[in-house]
Amino acid sequence: MSEVELTERLDLAIEAMLRNPQDVSPDDLEPTISELLRVALDLRHLPGADFKARLKDELERETLMSTKAQSTQRNQPAQSAIREGFRTVTPYLVVPDVHAEIAFITSTFGAQGKVYGLGSAGGFHSEYRIGDSMLMIGGGGKGSKWKGTPVPASLHVYVADVDGVYQRAVQAGAISLMEPTDMEYGERGAAIEDLGGNHWYLATATGPSYTPEGLPNLMPYFNPVGAPKMIDFLKRAFDAEEIARHQSPAGIVHHAKIRIGDSIVEMGEAHGPWQPRPMHFMVYVDDCDAWYARAMTAEGAVSVGEPANQPYGGRTGTIEDPFGNTWYLSSAMKTK
Amino acid sequence: MARSEPAKNFRLKRANEADERLLVKAAQRDASRFAALYESNFEVVYAYVARRVHDRAATEDLTSEVFHKALANLSRFKWTGAPFAAWLLRIASNVIADRAKRVGREGNVPLNESGPSLTVGPHRGSRSPQTQQTDLEDAERRARVFKLIDELVGDQHRVVVMRFAEEKSIREIAGELDRSEGAVKQLQFRALESLRKRLQDK
Repeated sequence: MSEVELTERLDLAIEAMLRNPQDVSPDDLEPTISELLRVALDLRHLPGADFKARLKDELERETLMSTKAQSTQRNQPAQSAIREGFRTVTPYLVVPDVHAEIAFITSTFGAQGKVYGLGSAGGFHSEYRIGDSMLMIGGGGKGSKWKGTPVPASLHVYVADVDGVYQRAVQAGAISLMEPTDMEYGERGAAIEDLGGNHWYLATATGPSYTPEGLPNLMPYFNPVGAPKMIDFLKRAFDAEEIARHQSPAGIVHHAKIRIGDSIVEMGEAHGPWQPRPMHFMVYVDDCDAWYARAMTAEGAVSVGEPANQPYGGRTGTIEDPFGNTWYLSSAMKTK
Repeated sequence: MARSEPAKNFRLKRANEADERLLVKAAQRDASRFAALYESNFEVVYAYVARRVHDRAATEDLTSEVFHKALANLSRFKWTGAPFAAWLLRIASNVIADRAKRVGREGNVPLNESGPSLTVGPHRGSRSPQTQQTDLEDAERRARVFKLIDELVGDQHRVVVMRFAEEKSIREIAGELDRSEGAVKQLQFRALESLRKRLQDK
């Protein structure tokens, strides 16, 4: 059959179908026509070209009004997903001696906080504040039978007086990794390793304030092998956003700042003495199950623990990223 | 390569599910984020309603009512693992039943046979999960066809919109496009052919 004949027959069938769909049974027609008629049957209810856009405008006007109405009531703090005083991401240092670590950060940084006694794994849990940022420290120490593996962190910390802090750290027994030096990117920096194995990149910004604008006192610092891949992972898993990236023409990331929720993490490609040091993080989210499900869709995510209510309160699901970092996604306990 | 396809598809499906869940969360916190949910579900709702009321003006009214209701009641939506569209279709089913009662009282047009029957009244929303699943799949299939229209180009696209959405005759379309009726029929044939191929590929 010629194409002209086919187009005529198809149109006859469509014409009949548009008049009364009940009159048409595609099965009685030749295969080519019948297959196309089935598509046409579905198209019979095709929405008008501008209806979708019109309704969208209408809904948008309505949301605008309802958002305004809500914002007047929103003065009371909504039941926030994030624990008071915390940000989305909190580094979790696992150390052999929690008390020694606390003594160190207290004398060096003037940290303040509290030890919460022995947890289910027999270790201590503590929460300390340095400047405007929180840290969690867990592990063993006197009075604990904890026999876990320490997981030291790498942290970039802004302090008012890098030289003074460096001196105090070394006096408290820290190993010097780098003496205070003026860096070309606008800060005076130094680096130390404390007794728990944590790396601290101490810095005083040379601007009007010792912390650069918009940055917290403390940020975790990654030196992954394959920084671009890690950035992609954080985006896919946690909806992270790249806020700065400096890279060589060959694509080596020298430095990047990534926002996760209201937190910022930093990274630079592994090089020289700065090699990967996987860390643990507490991540506060509005819905642990939803974020866990999303994070698990990121390439290379491995489940360490499915979301479950925790004896210490809250609900946590745990994943490990392809770079060895562990993320505890936590939200309020589910109440059915 | 081929062997990793199922795993990839599974990952993709899970990713879509997770994304949708977060879209709902975002809209529950901030109503202005509802637009994304509207964009991805408009066709499914429209297809579901159109199948049951047949009249274009009524379909538009009811589709609009479904989304207004969904927006107003979004805070009540609870994630159970079922797609967000299933919740929208439940609203649609109620909205259609309400209209049927209204129309019935006014002694107007009887319900068409594929619509919900009035006897569903007090028990509405209690349709079996299997029926709901089939309704959703059916609406999703037709929604896919609606969305595929946007992939047609030039006059093929225009012919399909005029013929099916604007319900114009071949003669009217030929007049507007300044083409012969034979040419319009050929465009119609090729457009449907192209849609059929795309549907097969999906």
